[in-house]
Amino acid sequence: MNILVCIKQILDPDLPARDFKIDAANKEADPKGANKVTNIFCENALETALQLREKAGGGKVTAITYGPEGAEDSLRKALAMTVDEAVLVINDKHSKPDAIAVGKVLAAAARKLGDFDLVMVGRESGDWGLGQTGGVLAEELGLPSLAFVDEVDPDGDGLKLQRQTDNGSEVATVKPPALVLITNNENNVPRIPKTRDVMMSYRKPLQKLTLEELGVADEAVGDGHTAFEVTNLYVPEKSVSCEFVQGDSLDEKVTELARRIHGIVASVN
Amino acid sequence: MNMSEATREVYWNVPYHNLIYVFLAPTLVIMLWGFYRRFRLWKAGKPALRTDRLGERVDLFIRNALGQARTMRNTYAAVFHTGLYLGFIVLVIATTVVAIHADTPLKIMQGPFYLFFQSLIVDFFGLFVMFAVLMAWYRRGRLKPAKLVYTDEANILLGLIFVIAFTGFLIEGWRIVVTEDPWGLWSPVGYVFGIASAKVMSTEAMTMAHRGSWWLHMAVSFGFIAYAPFTKMAHVVFSPLNIFTANLDGYGASLKDIDFEKAERFGINSLPDFTWKDLLDLDACTECGRCTAVCPANTVGKELSPRDIILDLQKLMHDSSDELLEIAAKRQKGELEPPKDGEPPPIPIIRDDHAVNKEALFQCTTCAACMEACPVFIEQLPKIVDARRFLVMEEADFPEGMMNVVTSMEQRQHPFPGTQFTRTDWADGLELDILADMADPKEAEVLFWVGCGGALVERNRSTVRATAKLLKKAGVKFAILGREESCTGDPARRIGNEFLFEMLAKGNVETLNGYGVKQIVTSCPHCFNTFANEYPQFGGHYEVSHHSQYLRDLVEGGRLQPVHEDHRHVTYHDPCYLGRHNGEYEAPRKVVAASSRTDIVEMPKSGRDSFCCGGGGGMMYVDEPPDKRVNQERAQQAIDTGADVVAVACPFCATMLEDGVGARKGDRNVSVIDVAEMLLASVGDEEAPVAGESSAG
Amino acid sequence: MSRVQIVLFSKNGWDRGAQGVAGAGRRLADGLGAELHAVVLGPADDALKNGLAAAAQKVQVVSALEEYQPEPALAAAASLCDGAAAVLFGNDTYSQEIVPRLAHRLGGAPMADAQKLEVKDGRIHVTRSAYGGKALSEYVMKATPAVIWVRSRALEPAEGDVGGAVEEATVELPEAKLRITERHEEAQEGASLEEAEIIVSGGRGLGGPEPFEQMLAPLADVMHAVQGASRAACDAGWVPPNWQVGQTGKKVAPELYLAIAISGASQHLLGMGDSKVVAAINTDADAPIFKHCSFGIVEDYKNVVPLLTEKLKEMQS
Repeated sequence: MNILVCIKQILDPDLPARDFKIDAANKEADPKGANKVTNIFCENALETALQLREKAGGGKVTAITYGPEGAEDSLRKALAMTVDEAVLVINDKHSKPDAIAVGKVLAAAARKLGDFDLVMVGRESGDWGLGQTGGVLAEELGLPSLAFVDEVDPDGDGLKLQRQTDNGSEVATVKPPALVLITNNENNVPRIPKTRDVMMSYRKPLQKLTLEELGVADEAVGDGHTAFEVTNLYVPEKSVSCEFVQGDSLDEKVTELARRIHGIVASVN
Repeated sequence: MNMSEATREVYWNVPYHNLIYVFLAPTLVIMLWGFYRRFRLWKAGKPALRTDRLGERVDLFIRNALGQARTMRNTYAAVFHTGLYLGFIVLVIATTVVAIHADTPLKIMQGPFYLFFQSLIVDFFGLFVMFAVLMAWYRRGRLKPAKLVYTDEANILLGLIFVIAFTGFLIEGWRIVVTEDPWGLWSPVGYVFGIASAKVMSTEAMTMAHRGSWWLHMAVSFGFIAYAPFTKMAHVVFSPLNIFTANLDGYGASLKDIDFEKAERFGINSLPDFTWKDLLDLDACTECGRCTAVCPANTVGKELSPRDIILDLQKLMHDSSDELLEIAAKRQKGELEPPKDGEPPPIPIIRDDHAVNKEALFQCTTCAACMEACPVFIEQLPKIVDARRFLVMEEADFPEGMMNVVTSMEQRQHPFPGTQFTRTDWADGLELDILADMADPKEAEVLFWVGCGGALVERNRSTVRATAKLLKKAGVKFAILGREESCTGDPARRIGNEFLFEMLAKGNVETLNGYGVKQIVTSCPHCFNTFANEYPQFGGHYEVSHHSQYLRDLVEGGRLQPVHEDHRHVTYHDPCYLGRHNGEYEAPRKVVAASSRTDIVEMPKSGRDSFCCGGGGGMMYVDEPPDKRVNQERAQQAIDTGADVVAVACPFCATMLEDGVGARKGDRNVSVIDVAEMLLASVGDEEAPVAGESSAG
Repeated sequence: MSRVQIVLFSKNGWDRGAQGVAGAGRRLADGLGAELHAVVLGPADDALKNGLAAAAQKVQVVSALEEYQPEPALAAAASLCDGAAAVLFGNDTYSQEIVPRLAHRLGGAPMADAQKLEVKDGRIHVTRSAYGGKALSEYVMKATPAVIWVRSRALEPAEGDVGGAVEEATVELPEAKLRITERHEEAQEGASLEEAEIIVSGGRGLGGPEPFEQMLAPLADVMHAVQGASRAACDAGWVPPNWQVGQTGKKVAPELYLAIAISGASQHLLGMGDSKVVAAINTDADAPIFKHCSFGIVEDYKNVVPLLTEKLKEMQS
């Protein structure tokens, strides 16, 4: 089982709203003073891949990211989680690649790196949250894909995929190769690395590739969004003032609360 | 009668008494072998420096080994243990006096010494010993405190001691009566025994019984001596040794360092990985159970029992002694193979069905109440943290709540995942200096280290705000680090992630030293402890004060003048990391006293014996079962004092106790307030009105 | 004449989501001066056909797609949507799955979770949340077609009746290499979260699964509400993952959203932002949730919820 997990380093989504600043000129979040973390669904994907490797009794998990040099941190963390190989496709030119560009780069890298049975991508990222990379990559690689997958099991010479739907779940089967977009559930919470693995992660090799080495032309992944363009990014003013229910005792307050709720409930039903 | 001639015939009625030396030799051999058997096990441990600073060690030894200072804290135990302890010393001296008198030219057993010491005092202590045994029996048989370990061995030992004392009085009494000893009344207890015997026994019978009892007395005594090292009686040797080699630096400095480049395993899950002092600790245990009795986790019904951890490891050490010695021998020859991945370590200590199990280990709040309670200075806490380290760093197997916190500390340098507060928004409008923004950071005389628990937790933002306001009012030239502040690493270290602690510590020291910081004030006792006890090894040497200490000094120096006094009744909760770990009990009380009209209503468990809020050691981040919550137990203790205010001096305590008080206060109005908030109200501030001022008080 | 295409899955019928997509499609087509065409993937019932025919000039039903399989559905959509100026989808699982692939296959521009669609100077502009709800972002679509899934339930249905024609479409369907073999529906009685008009949601502050069952369930019962939860509660396994309301969970738009012991992380607020009225029960008066509330109470839910349930029962009888 040869698994490729595509991950992305993003601005910490847990950044307190007050520390969240927008770089108006570039129409993106101001990265100054903010931590960078691996996107959570990417970590869920890593975890799912590592569990699949265990369940399959072996195999290789490769983590890849397309990003600036600093994205190495996310790969080191993946190595600490015990992925076998890590690849950084260096993006030192284009600050805002869109999903189509990223999909093309990752597809080129996937082809160069070898035959993967399964490609895993997080369902969406905590920054722009467009959730497009996986679909684009599947198209580029011509792989069958399934979104919102939260568990992958070996199933004979194929794979059994479990995924979440609007009001339940579905199970699908596929013969590799395939691509899945991973979402979270209680079983793929990313593991805490062992300290020795953390230490080792800094000593393990990490492959760096450039776009030239991948044979991807600059203009194919050019600056800015090719399919769409961000025209504005701003923090919305939200000023709803909450009215705290009044009363001298808990009973009075709850009665007031009940009265208000009852009003709405009665109007609906 | 001339008192100076007073003596008695030694070995009266005991022909061949010199045989005792024949019996004594093997007795001593067995005894020494018994002690050596334990001693060589400790030697199997890793090195530890515990023979330095002799002056301090002698002092500690005099107070706590000879003076039994800690044993005395429990009145009942103090009485009977003193009886046994002093009785033993006196009776051993008396026996030695007999031997010297009989078998050397030194005829010392005569005159006033014979009468006052060898007769009267010895009799008194003999009686005291018997009384002490009865007290101990009564405790075991009737009072039955849960903290004790109920073994046959304990009863056998008490029985032997009683027999020794009792037969001693019998032979003394019979000798007095039969020899019509003119000085007999100087041995009043023996005398009474003799007179009583004479009523029912003939002289011949008493003479015969005397001879038999004498040999019995000797046999039991020698048996006891030989048996002792194989029982908990060995503590008469091990405990003083343990006290002499105790940690001299306080509980705040009791965790070991790890050399990550050299260590074969991080943390401990293998008995031979302990130091010799750790192993000595195990044998020094007297099974008194005080540690478990004061353990907050145990008190609320959790599994953790520091006593059982020590005894479990002690048994493991004895049961696996051969393997332990083998490993030690290999290690000495450098033949010990480094551990292989996935292989269980030799003599594992963390075992599901034993006291040292995963569940119990992660119930410890690292409050150090166990160590403070131990009369013989056993160090339970570092062992618990050693085992945690193994689970956290080698196995990554620890409670989920702690995992989230560890991840948060790694990625965001604070242990409050999901917080929506920043490092500085608590200070809105105060216009505080931030070191990075100052033209000359040296102008700030003091760094106010806010702490994550102060800046990022809703409850405590008012505490750190109050502290900053007070510093401003007093005209202190201070600054904060703002965004550059990060967790000191305390939760990481107590949870067991020493690696993460080191990274955070090094980062902080670099930042602080970069600004040339000399003096630090912090509102968090955990940060305080880390600065005071743990950063020096990373090159961070600062003069650090807890805010209560600094504020006390400002009040005493007249730079802050409390004018309003809170009318409400106040109790004060000692934070473990300020109190027990660092010995500061007075400063926060002084601040409370300055702000309050009434005297502090102390909880029964306060000061040195304070009961943890439940938040230390990473436990703040772990969900406790609803019926086993340490914070509610402590809140109840506070509420039971009748106080209206629970004064605190730690952000962790504040959140834990506010939660606990909320759950337990019922209809009563009880508030949890930091000492800085109290002082601010007292000094006068528009944001902090004084409570109770308008009421009748 | 150019056309706007909407694509719906027959499984959900003519629900609020379908109506929102149709409304958005209608308005977009009007704005572009285009026709609106609809595709139904799967056998459509009459309500769906009629509803769509009122909004769209042409309705094509691919009945051959009896059950959803990703590859045939994608192929059908690609074949029927080729040449459209824009393609709109709803925000259900299948739509979200297909949109990026379809966009790329047609050489167009994918867009997700549109909250607002506008036409300015003949170009499609989209407004949507970004950065976990901390920011709003606006886009102009450049490549054609713009393939967009919209937050359908929050969008107004179409007005009027264009009297469109309904026809069966035959498309060549590829064989599925990946096959969905089992489908399980979670037994959450009544409406689904997205369709719910009243939602009672619980968060990390509940501390475990028991309060959901023992306190929130009876309350939801009395309120005729559907139960939801925050990501923390779902991740902890206290409730099933599809109860999750938030950026990565359900985006809901009820008349009343009652948040219990939910602090209001921005990613959660994003999922409930379309609620008409938000009310909260929380011990912390400064919890972010209260900044998004119409009314609330600062008390421990343990004291409030049982009492509230009782009071509501009284009021209803």
